[in-house]
Amino acid sequence: MKKYLLSLLLLLSIHGMAQEVGLRSRRAWYLPDHLKLQFAGNIGFLSGGPGYVSRNKTLETDLLFGFLPQKYGGDALVTTTLKTTYSPWRIGLRDSYYIRPFSIGAYLSYTFGPQFDTKWPSYYPAGYYWWATAIRPGAYIGGKAGRNVVLNNRRRSFELYYELGTYDLLIISYVQNKSFLKLHDIVSLSLGVKFGFD
Amino acid sequence: MIFGVNPQRSREFGITLIVHQIINKLKNMLRWSRLGLSLGLAFLLTSCDDLFQYNPNEETLLDRDKDLTAKNIAKISRLPVSDTTRFILMGDTQRWYDECEDFVRSANQQKSISFVLHAGDISDFGLTQEFKWVNEIMTRLKYPYVTVIGNHDIVANGSATYRKMFGPLNYSFGFGRDRFIFVNTNSREYAFDGSVPDIAWLKAQLADNPAHQNTIVVGHVPPFDADFDKNLEKPYTEALANDPTVKFTLYGHQHRFYEGQFYDDGVNYHLTTSMGARGYMVVSTWKGGYSVERVNF
Repeated sequence: MKKYLLSLLLLLSIHGMAQEVGLRSRRAWYLPDHLKLQFAGNIGFLSGGPGYVSRNKTLETDLLFGFLPQKYGGDALVTTTLKTTYSPWRIGLRDSYYIRPFSIGAYLSYTFGPQFDTKWPSYYPAGYYWWATAIRPGAYIGGKAGRNVVLNNRRRSFELYYELGTYDLLIISYVQNKSFLKLHDIVSLSLGVKFGFD
Repeated sequence: MIFGVNPQRSREFGITLIVHQIINKLKNMLRWSRLGLSLGLAFLLTSCDDLFQYNPNEETLLDRDKDLTAKNIAKISRLPVSDTTRFILMGDTQRWYDECEDFVRSANQQKSISFVLHAGDISDFGLTQEFKWVNEIMTRLKYPYVTVIGNHDIVANGSATYRKMFGPLNYSFGFGRDRFIFVNTNSREYAFDGSVPDIAWLKAQLADNPAHQNTIVVGHVPPFDADFDKNLEKPYTEALANDPTVKFTLYGHQHRFYEGQFYDDGVNYHLTTSMGARGYMVVSTWKGGYSVERVNF
């Protein structure tokens, strides 16, 4: 595991060209502002997709498509996720590096499969099971580090982020079993990269 | 702390300000990275096993968490047999982990128990994570335990996980003078399609009793419950009543102690309560008789 973390951190030091000359103007509004690729986080082994960012760059909303191969999950699962992350603070560093030290966010994921329901079939009395098995709301905190670069005369940014997250069913399990369950039992780590078209 | 200041703009304020800023930022960086590092390290060290999770419904199991039914039956078969067999019937651990820990403490105080039967609803949401948590608690018992599948254990990927972690949904084993048949009775989860409980399988199991052992059928949903297939209630109860080796049968599901000869056919039905209701049963069997004792913890 250490190896993976190290190589991900090394990605941070990718050097882009830092000169800012003759930059293209802003892109059409409907084109996504960035692409993300995420590892783990209960929305797939790998998930990726486009996203949009608010004008002040603190609020990101992504649509991620995730896949969990049977090899790693025991069952092959396909997931789509809508997630929103708020990262209020930005610390600028030398050489166009920056840190967004704190992020907080929430997501809603949908897992495909005949064994999962959004609405329970009619052979169950109303309210027999109170949760939907296909849809999972979750929340996380995290942080990220990035760098603004210029690639082919276009402003771009690379970011690495981590998130510590959990979801509704684990939260309720934890709240009712604080003696047996520890916070780390319900929280898991995810890592991701963001490529921004600024 | 200074956040979000554009370095280009700050040049206007002179070199001293830039130096101050850089020092401040480095301090910030150090503080955050130190916090992040210590948090991250603590996290890595405490829970490497489940550090990364890919889907709530993933079925990732370590080898030590697989085929528990077969492993535990092997343990039971090595136990000494005495004139009286004593075992515990408990169930419905679903989202009652703290209470289940208390159950284990109470059960470990009992005298001359051979094994524990879990009457189903091991999990609440059918998540692998829940099965693992309950198994973690149940392995602290001084005794091996075996399970029957409950309706909550079938939800989502639950039954697939149950198969991998425990084993077949219907199975049986013998111990001493007794023979235990575990049968999936959660008809509603199969839309009452007539396949659950598997009456043909049950009849074959009942018939396959050359040593005339006492037969104890264990299920989660009792046949008089609304979650049991109404069309199969009679075939099921008659199959039990027509077998002279069946004196009593055991269930969970209703989260209450409940017992009686509900079909006037000589078969006693016993339900154990949930972990939430903090109770379990101690069952003793001997040649020609049995007793059931309720325990609250």
